Amino acid sequence: MNAKKERVPGNGLGGRIINALDDDRLSQFAIPVVSIILTILAAAALLLVLGKNPATAMTGFLRGSGFMMKPIYGGGQSMLTDFLSFLGILAPMLLAALGIIIGMKSGMFNIGMAGQMLAAGFIATVFVGYSGLNAYLAKPLVILLGILTGGLIGAIIGFLKYRFNIHEVVSSIMFNYIISYIVAFFINTYYKDIITRSSRVCSAASRLSITGVTWGTSKLTLPLGIILALAGVFLVKFLLDRTVVGFEMKAVGLNRDCAKYAGVNVGKSIILAMALSGVFGGLAGVTYYVGYFNSIVPKELASLGYDSIAVALLGNISPIGAIFSSILITIFQKGSIYMSSTVGVPKEIASVITGILLLFSACGTYMRYLARRQRERLADKAKKEGVQ
Amino acid sequence: MDTIMIDGLSFALPLFIMAIGGIYSERSGIVMLALEGLQGFGAFVGAMTVILSRFYLGNSSPYLIYIAMVAGMIGGSLFSIIHALLCVKFKARQVISGVVVNTLAVALTTFLTSVINGIITGEASNKFQIGVSSRFTVPVLSEIPIFGGLFKNMYPFEIVILVIALYCWYLLYKTKFGLRLRACGENPHSLDAAGGDVGKTQFIAIMICGALSGLGGIFIAYSVSGIFSPTIYMGYGYLSIAALIFGNWKIPRTFAVCLFFGFARSVVYQLLLKLGMPSNYTDLFLILPYVLTLLLLIFFSKHNHPPRAVGEIFDKSKR
Amino acid sequence: MSEYIVEMRHITKRFPGIVANDDISIGIKKGEIFAFLGENGAGKSTLMSMLFGMYEPDEGEILVRGEKVKLSSSNEAAALNIGMVHQHFKLVDNYTIAENIILGIEPIKKIGGFIPYVDCKGAQEKIRELSKAYGLEVDPCQIVETVNVSIQQRVEILKMLYREAEILIFDEPTAVLTPQEIQYLLDIMEELRNKGKTIILITHKLEEIKRIADRCAILRRGKLVKVLNVNETTTQEMANLMVGREVVFEQEKSPANFGEVLLEVEDLTVRNEDKFDVVKNVNFSIRRGEIFAIAGVSGNGQIEIADAIAGLIKPQKGAIKLKGKDITDESIRRRTEDGMSYIPEDRQRLGVILDFSLEDNLAIKRYYREPFSQKGILKREGFQKFAEELIDRYDIRSGQGAKTTTRSMSGGNQQKAIVAREISLESDLMIFVQPTRGLDIGAIENIQKHILRERDKGKAVLLISLELDEVMSLADTIGVIYNGELQKISPAEELTTNQVGEYMMGVKS
Repeated sequence: MNAKKERVPGNGLGGRIINALDDDRLSQFAIPVVSIILTILAAAALLLVLGKNPATAMTGFLRGSGFMMKPIYGGGQSMLTDFLSFLGILAPMLLAALGIIIGMKSGMFNIGMAGQMLAAGFIATVFVGYSGLNAYLAKPLVILLGILTGGLIGAIIGFLKYRFNIHEVVSSIMFNYIISYIVAFFINTYYKDIITRSSRVCSAASRLSITGVTWGTSKLTLPLGIILALAGVFLVKFLLDRTVVGFEMKAVGLNRDCAKYAGVNVGKSIILAMALSGVFGGLAGVTYYVGYFNSIVPKELASLGYDSIAVALLGNISPIGAIFSSILITIFQKGSIYMSSTVGVPKEIASVITGILLLFSACGTYMRYLARRQRERLADKAKKEGVQ
Repeated sequence: MDTIMIDGLSFALPLFIMAIGGIYSERSGIVMLALEGLQGFGAFVGAMTVILSRFYLGNSSPYLIYIAMVAGMIGGSLFSIIHALLCVKFKARQVISGVVVNTLAVALTTFLTSVINGIITGEASNKFQIGVSSRFTVPVLSEIPIFGGLFKNMYPFEIVILVIALYCWYLLYKTKFGLRLRACGENPHSLDAAGGDVGKTQFIAIMICGALSGLGGIFIAYSVSGIFSPTIYMGYGYLSIAALIFGNWKIPRTFAVCLFFGFARSVVYQLLLKLGMPSNYTDLFLILPYVLTLLLLIFFSKHNHPPRAVGEIFDKSKR
Repeated sequence: MSEYIVEMRHITKRFPGIVANDDISIGIKKGEIFAFLGENGAGKSTLMSMLFGMYEPDEGEILVRGEKVKLSSSNEAAALNIGMVHQHFKLVDNYTIAENIILGIEPIKKIGGFIPYVDCKGAQEKIRELSKAYGLEVDPCQIVETVNVSIQQRVEILKMLYREAEILIFDEPTAVLTPQEIQYLLDIMEELRNKGKTIILITHKLEEIKRIADRCAILRRGKLVKVLNVNETTTQEMANLMVGREVVFEQEKSPANFGEVLLEVEDLTVRNEDKFDVVKNVNFSIRRGEIFAIAGVSGNGQIEIADAIAGLIKPQKGAIKLKGKDITDESIRRRTEDGMSYIPEDRQRLGVILDFSLEDNLAIKRYYREPFSQKGILKREGFQKFAEELIDRYDIRSGQGAKTTTRSMSGGNQQKAIVAREISLESDLMIFVQPTRGLDIGAIENIQKHILRERDKGKAVLLISLELDEVMSLADTIGVIYNGELQKISPAEELTTNQVGEYMMGVKS
């Protein structure tokens, strides 16, 4: 039944794109690339409607993220400062996306990333950030608390799904609100900084970044989270591709009934997958709240938790793909403040762009279907012409 | 007592109308996690229309409320086309599509509110101040002891929602459209073989869902909070999903669940006020609806019968 | 006006990678019973789906009552009074029979002249009349999921009659019925023909054609082989034409050689989600070297028995013993390791993971052990080597060998892969549920040979099949299930097909 793939005749660009979109191997690259191009076109159109120059806006994003030189820098600032800061926020983005990927591979949609991040960040802040422990003890402890907190919440969501059949999207959203209000209560009651109205800052020793490094004239903050994130990428890839546990997770994700029939302990697999997903959420949380930032704004869930869904989808739900997609989306998010100040478009446009990107990524299957239909049509036409 | 009744009802009814929207979508076979985004977008369009109409009609025009309702419903249903296209036409995964719609709604409404405020007032605020619509009291009924509170200080929205809910019930259970819609959610192939158009039915169901959610959203913005801002995304959509799950995808039972949610909330709220708790503690109290939702889900999820074909991507050629 | 009510000329239909119908021309006369005979995948259903407007032909034309028509939806077919009973019924389970019949052409009444509503009462009346006129007894107020398959089929027929269909297409209508129900259905079909309806019957069962069809078209691999007058031919000739070679009807079966008791099922009761007992106090045992077949109409609890033995569902009460050991509470994995293989009914949902590669699916019951993995780390070479061995031994065909995505394989090859995997476990107990469903004759022969070989090796085989022929030709012992109860357990040679059929309907007890 396996149809022999027929190439679209002709070597035109259109033909090549169509072939790539419908190729088993190439489509995983072609679909994201097409999504990105469509998104940038849509964003450019939006900017034009608002009377702004899209090219200036796009360079604004790149400049704000440390990929291009800004015209002027303030004291102690440089492109390197911006780029390291970019890496600092890239780390939680990538970690959160890894969490989403593990979930999706096992058929679970962990939309509660933001809540797991907040909980982990809060617990680490309170127990280590305010403790006065030295850096060698504090930093590993922060990571450990992040892992435990995130993992526990993930495991509960997995348990509710398996035992009570509660849809993970609904339960994790509920957890998001519960966590957000509880954290707000504690911060407002015990840990509030009167001036900033957010939580008191955590100690430099506990932060997952090294501050106050100077290089030439610029002051730098070295993000440690990015190392964690890159290690995470390879860990997740190894887990999914090469281990028995990963094999079981994928089996459960693709066909729960068959996995059960084959003897996989489905409940254990679901709970484990959600726990691991939560672990990465927790790590994202500590690198975000106790790394990039060093305080928590009450009643605010990090939009990064939701952006990571777009990262995972755009990266074709693969850990390696997530590296590229997280860089792209972080450029928009991180660069939006600078872009906004120079071009005069509200910085929320970054979220709009992420949303559009998500929209196109979700259409991936349809793009492939369109490409296939178009190819069949062209092949048919070629055949008929050949006959005549 | 009256306050409990008034607040309870004004919390329950927007939930209810959104939940009906969810029921329409899910019973046509389409998973609906997008209620949150749809109600927000509906509220945004409604609030924006109110702001703009005020220039022509003045601040106290009695028509504003109706314009807001219509605009909210149109806004919600237009935005729901995204979900309909993704799920029905593009055959995307419905859960993901729901998240796409929610994400886009939050981002777009926040962004557009800033842009529009920037144009109107020159100040990029992310709020539309629209105030609270006027209220009325039903003369005789409000004198009934205890339950009279239900008829005091009513928002015009509440009457509209009840009427529409009744019509929705009739449409779903008594008409040709309803019969076909429910068939889509149970076995779309049956409708297809009988000559019905599954895609079209689902598309319309989703748009109805969008309109109803939009109505719920503008009610919240125009009656409960008096502003449109990102705070509208505080989980009403998800609560109404929970409500329709306990309601077993049936309209009358869902109504009871929504009333329960509403009154439970207002009772606890009044209790806290009476006890004179400091304001920090209201945050703790605010988790109650969510904890309650989770607990109820734990008890009810197993006994429920969701529509059999919900979430399945309908493929004509499969048998 | 031509002599044919339906004429199909030079019809060709291609699907990706396959020509389903290759230049087929055929004419069907008004008031005859015209049969299409062919193996699974021969193209009969595709051809008729085009007449019913579900697909459009790539080439060729269709004439109905002498006029050329373009059928692009089932609505257009219905407008030409063409109706079809599909192999898988298209019913809404929680609707009443009446609601199912009127779906799509609902009669509307108005309250007070302006509020429209669906007139169920009126429809019920009309359905009662119809059912009386054609002898198709149903109660229009009953909910479809509460009635049995045979009645559901009547609902499908009534659906066509309610739409005033003149040309009635039946796609494999007898596959799920008992012999007695088949009898009833065939009588109904003759009755319909006598009232002037044209009937098209798609089947692979020769006796049915012999009994009621006037003419018969034989299809093989998308091509029309021949159109025969049924009373001028023999079943043997039809079978040979259908398969393209001499057909052996009976499997050669050596005499049984029973060993010790291997599986004991005691007092098994299974309750479904609706708190309804679908299996009631079932007792039986299987010895080594024995094929124990459970015969029964679909939906009478036989699948649940298999699922309960395999551990997929928890029994309400009762015990299951394998080699004397109570395994009632053991995990599925433990049971596999104790020596149990299970070929499930729904192969695409249960049997394989369609998006896994063939090698992953072949290893899915053993991936956690050597040579597939070591200390939790997968060893890909082990997967590949094992897969290549099975592919070779069982002739599993796929595009890219062991790495092929299972989804892209044909149903027959997916089934072969499952059978290969389960037999290769070398379990003492083998559960086969509908092992040959949807396969062509060659593949059926092959799989039946495997089943017999396992029995001769001293394995205990539990065979669950809806095909009574299969049960009769393979089983050593037959248990007949009706309504969750085993009506009769008896050595196969002491039962006739008709007796089994009566037990299947709960007539005898």
